[in-house]
Amino acid sequence: MTPAIAVEGLSKTFRPPFRLKKVRAVRSVSFTVTPGEVFGFLGPNGAGKTTTIKVLTGLIRPTAGRVAVLGGPPTSIEVKARVGFLPEQPYFYDYLKPTELLDIFGRLFGMDRSTRHRRIHELLDLVGLAHAKDRTLRKFSKGMLQRVGLAQALLNDPDLLILDEPLSGLDPIGRKEVADLIASLKAGGKTIFFSSHILADIERLCDRVVILDRGEMKAEGRLDDLLAGGRWEKEAVVRARPGGAPPRVETWPEGTRVEEIDPATWRVVTPGEAFGPVLQRLVEAGFEVVGAGDRRLSLEALIMGLTREASGAREVAR
Amino acid sequence: MTASGVAGAARGLFGLGASWTRVHALALNTFIEASRNRAFVGLGVAAVGLVVSSIALSQLAIRDQAARVLVDFGLFAISLLSVVIAVVMGVILIFKEVDRKTFYLVLPKPVRRSEVVAGKFAGLLAVLAVAVVVMGAAWILSLVARDVPVNPDMIKALVLVWFEAALITSVALFFSSFATPVMSGVFTLGIFLVGRSVPLLDELLRAKKGVLVRNPLVRFIAQAVTDTFPDLSVFHVGKELILGVPVGWDYVGGVALYCAGYCVFFLALGMLIFRRRDFV
Ligand SMILES: Nc1ncnc2c1ncn2[C@@H]1O[C@H](COP(=O)(O)OP(=O)(O)OP(=O)(O)O)[C@@H](O)[C@H]1O
Ligand SMILES: [Mg+2]
Repeated sequence: MTPAIAVEGLSKTFRPPFRLKKVRAVRSVSFTVTPGEVFGFLGPNGAGKTTTIKVLTGLIRPTAGRVAVLGGPPTSIEVKARVGFLPEQPYFYDYLKPTELLDIFGRLFGMDRSTRHRRIHELLDLVGLAHAKDRTLRKFSKGMLQRVGLAQALLNDPDLLILDEPLSGLDPIGRKEVADLIASLKAGGKTIFFSSHILADIERLCDRVVILDRGEMKAEGRLDDLLAGGRWEKEAVVRARPGGAPPRVETWPEGTRVEEIDPATWRVVTPGEAFGPVLQRLVEAGFEVVGAGDRRLSLEALIMGLTREASGAREVAR
Repeated sequence: MTASGVAGAARGLFGLGASWTRVHALALNTFIEASRNRAFVGLGVAAVGLVVSSIALSQLAIRDQAARVLVDFGLFAISLLSVVIAVVMGVILIFKEVDRKTFYLVLPKPVRRSEVVAGKFAGLLAVLAVAVVVMGAAWILSLVARDVPVNPDMIKALVLVWFEAALITSVALFFSSFATPVMSGVFTLGIFLVGRSVPLLDELLRAKKGVLVRNPLVRFIAQAVTDTFPDLSVFHVGKELILGVPVGWDYVGGVALYCAGYCVFFLALGMLIFRRRDFV
């Protein structure tokens, strides 16, 4: 089967004008996206996500490496006809109304008048903008623009969707709606490639991920696998009686640590398997447990873990 | 012709048709952008004001000079404002799309980059056509108001003004495919000024004395400029209108070809550069 996206040894170096220093935004990144999957492109700010996506959509050319989208070059008209793209923080022709904008894009896709008319109203309903279709885009809020961006990305009923931070700029309800939309598109057989710096968003939606950091690939695979290996942690929020000292955990199970929330409240983090005993000791020590649960692993912590793991593996190999 | 040949030709024609649809869509967007731009509409109003004010100007002239002033000044104003529109819009439109990142939405659509340039050009041609028609109508009204005889050659004069603006648009689009708006504007104006001076240069070259004749290097450069630069004086028939010398359609057709040649040249160069650009 032709991969939906195949990236091999991709590098992109920017050379800002009048400056000697080159910016190596992406360095030999390789991954493959299989048709029908939701693929997460994860990395902190400045990791090179948008740069990679610009190569995938034909906006910029790679410095080195090969890229194939739906089996062809990203700049080919036949390929682009089957791709939908949502740029990060999309900005539109603000003198147009959403219907006019989508009409012009529909013409670019070669859709006839009646198809355009039907599809545009369908999509404005889908992204919840039917009420605003007679306003010019200048008067749209950030979240509304993000929705227009989604509508235009879906205009051609694409086989492959490339979405750069599709959940940013949306309120909680909007995030849920878009997440549900992505899930339903996947159910409809679409391939979805989307970037984010929020682990939870990716975790909820993606089959597989690539993790990028400062232009380099840190990991590729199923997120479950990357998250496995005992790095799951739990946490308890505890409060002391007035004037009480923080929990002393030096002698407790390894990996337990304390973070201060305010002078009388602390978060106690423990490895998953040590949670029971630690909770018990906290109660015995007279702390009031006001909350407990899974610790949300941050992307930064995950990347740090992966980096540590990789350097550990190198040491073992030596 | 073989069956595969027919199929190939059909595909080719279909490809052309699809390409035209896209250029048309992009041109339409450019046209809407201009028509909803307050600055542009303001410029149009100012232009009409200027033409009408030439009536006032003609009041000051001596009786038989009035017609001359009206014809000449009106046409001059129309051509100047058309060129201003061509330079400003041609220089700013592509930059604006890059600056505002609207190209991130357009270029990943199934369009060729050359079609994007062609679409901008076609859209601007339409904008300029509307501008010339509106200003031209005001001009002819001003002539009628002052009992200056109107003749069909005046329409031809307006068509020629439109051609000149088209040529300048292609120059502006070419420069803006790689330079900043200010640089593009300066370069385009440079070409415009040199283009308007080509007859003068020509005259100096043919003169018996002067720097152009004496200094071989200057002479060489001046010769190269007159040989290669568009001679923009071919677009101006104000003198003929005043003297009553007829302007034939064959002349207009010849100028059209001359203009088209330069437009194709500048647009093709612009497309080549535009195609290789990174849109970061
Ligand atoms: N045009 C450019 N010129 C120079 N450097 C650039 C350019 N575009 C991006 N970079 C640099 O490349 C690196 C990667 O940027 P990129 O926009 O791809 O990051 P990102 O992963 O999308 O980050 P974010 O989550 O903030 O959107 C950054 O260090 C950035 O400064
Ligand atoms: Mg980004």
